[in-house]
Amino acid sequence: MIAAGLLLLALSTSAAPGADEHLLAGAAAFRDGRFDAALVEFRVAEKLGAPDGRAYAAAALVKLGRAEDSVEAFASSPPGDDDLLDWYRALACYEAQLYLCADRILAGLTRAGPKVATEAGKLRAEVARVLARETTATTIDWYLARCEARRAEGRAALAAAYCREAAELGARRPDRHGVARANAELVRLEPPAPVGRER
Amino acid sequence: MIAALITGLALAAADPCAPVQSAAAADPGAAAVYRGVADAEAQAGSRETAVLAYRSAAALDPTDHASRAALERFCRAGSGVDPFQAGLAKMDAGDLRGAVADFRAARGRVGVDEPSVALLEGICHYELGEGREAEPLLRAAERSPEHADLARFYLGLLALREGASSRAAALFDAASASAAIAPVASDLARVARTRGPWALTLVASSGFDSNVNLAPPGAPPARASDGLYALGATGLVRPWGADGPYLRAQGFLDKQYRLDAYDVSGGDLAGGWQLQGTRWSGLAEYDFAYRTFGGSPFLSSHRLLASAWTLVGDVTLGASYLARFESYADGFSPFSGTVQAAEVRASFGVGARARLALAYGAAWDGARLSILSYVEHGPRVELRVVASRGVRLGADVATTFRGYDAFDPTLGARRRDTYLDAAGLVEWDLAPRWTAQLALRGRRALSSVAGFEYTKVVPTAGLAYTFSP
Repeated sequence: MIAAGLLLLALSTSAAPGADEHLLAGAAAFRDGRFDAALVEFRVAEKLGAPDGRAYAAAALVKLGRAEDSVEAFASSPPGDDDLLDWYRALACYEAQLYLCADRILAGLTRAGPKVATEAGKLRAEVARVLARETTATTIDWYLARCEARRAEGRAALAAAYCREAAELGARRPDRHGVARANAELVRLEPPAPVGRER
Repeated sequence: MIAALITGLALAAADPCAPVQSAAAADPGAAAVYRGVADAEAQAGSRETAVLAYRSAAALDPTDHASRAALERFCRAGSGVDPFQAGLAKMDAGDLRGAVADFRAARGRVGVDEPSVALLEGICHYELGEGREAEPLLRAAERSPEHADLARFYLGLLALREGASSRAAALFDAASASAAIAPVASDLARVARTRGPWALTLVASSGFDSNVNLAPPGAPPARASDGLYALGATGLVRPWGADGPYLRAQGFLDKQYRLDAYDVSGGDLAGGWQLQGTRWSGLAEYDFAYRTFGGSPFLSSHRLLASAWTLVGDVTLGASYLARFESYADGFSPFSGTVQAAEVRASFGVGARARLALAYGAAWDGARLSILSYVEHGPRVELRVVASRGVRLGADVATTFRGYDAFDPTLGARRRDTYLDAAGLVEWDLAPRWTAQLALRGRRALSSVAGFEYTKVVPTAGLAYTFSP
């Protein structure tokens, strides 16, 4: 049902000539559960100038279990435009273990349909359960290591997501473990507008 | 054109390496876009989507040799089966060695959650008894917030296996942060605290015995019931942990409030050696026991015990044998002799929180007086359930069929008894070293001689404290 929503959304999206067909084809494949075919079509639509092609591709990436690629693809557009895409955006964050990122997006899903709202409520409860535990220094170090590793691979947007998570988790601890290091990395990563990894 | 391509993509999903059918009308421009997508997917390490996109490019442009070559290269390279999924399937099927190979192949691939792979591969190594290989993988998984609790649980099991009981207890305590793991983890933390080089457990309980003198129903002597209290202490020393020699000392006092002629007290001193493998264990033990009854000397005995158990699949199979050389005090001396007993046992998990054990035992009591000698045998069922964090439930049911060796002229019969036993137990860990216990034991004795039939119910409530390093 959520996938069918994506089809409706794609139908209502105005894109460049030629890109529309691929958006619709991608949405149909997505609805049928053929997420690899959907990804290819959304990518083609994106290359042909469909403004939301990348976001739809990001949704397909979540379904393909490529959470980090999805976070990276979603990073090119801010959340808040569409609740359905934001649901996939939250899923991508959750599956990449970016729990605060997921929580922030889930909190903003105010206009979602009943199905998405139910699923979002369950996911937010799960995120709350994870965040209820005290974050250890080891955990924050793990996020920082991910941030540095992704930066070294040239994946700035993804690296920034990990560093932002580390900074926010560290700020919840009395000793603010890792906050300074994460912020220093973010300064290096975020001066220009966040861009996804060029494929 | 797009519809035809999508149909092509759907067919390709069934066999992505089937021959490419050309589109009705060639479109080199669109083919180039698909090829660009395919190249990007290939660069990202996603074989499946790259193959789909190359197929579309090749279908739209018969002259696109680059896409066809890439497609051929991918198809020649392999089936594209996701090694992570393959590893999961093999793990479920019990092929742990095969699962390890697949998880190893999955590491570093795009889209694979590295901590998940590390956790599962670590669990496989643990199950295979390969602690050295398991530990670094579980440590890697522990760094992931999502897998930290389960990784700590398995690290605790590893530590317990290695005899590092304090470390194991700390890891189980940490793993208890997860609601899903907490019941089992907190129970194992309690077990780990008693697995160190020494442990001293003190137990005090009180209750009621409905039939202290084992009186038959509706016939003399009259049934005598009484309150009771019991004190016990068990000390265990095993300098090299669970795998090695040990000494055990035990003392107890079971005292009736009024009927002190039925008081029992005693002590045991035992020494043994336990050997532990990855999937088996065994022990040999000598035990000296001394008992008093009604405040007077009653029995001293020397017991030899051998026991072994092994894991076969998910079932633990065990067997034990003991020989006890009994010497009763004056007045009871006809009971003196040798008891030999053996038992076979199988236990297995029932769901995530329960364990069921089925056992069958047999014993021969070769008493000095033949009318007191008997052979008995029967089944026993034990169920243990971890109900919630720190709360355990137990239930035992047993039947014993006993036949005496000789006709008893005084009774005018050769005695044959059947004992039906049932017990229920609730244990609650009040604090890391304190455990509260509620127990209910009952026995119904049936006999070919009416005077030996009786019913007895004993509810008790107690408290235990364990000292350990």
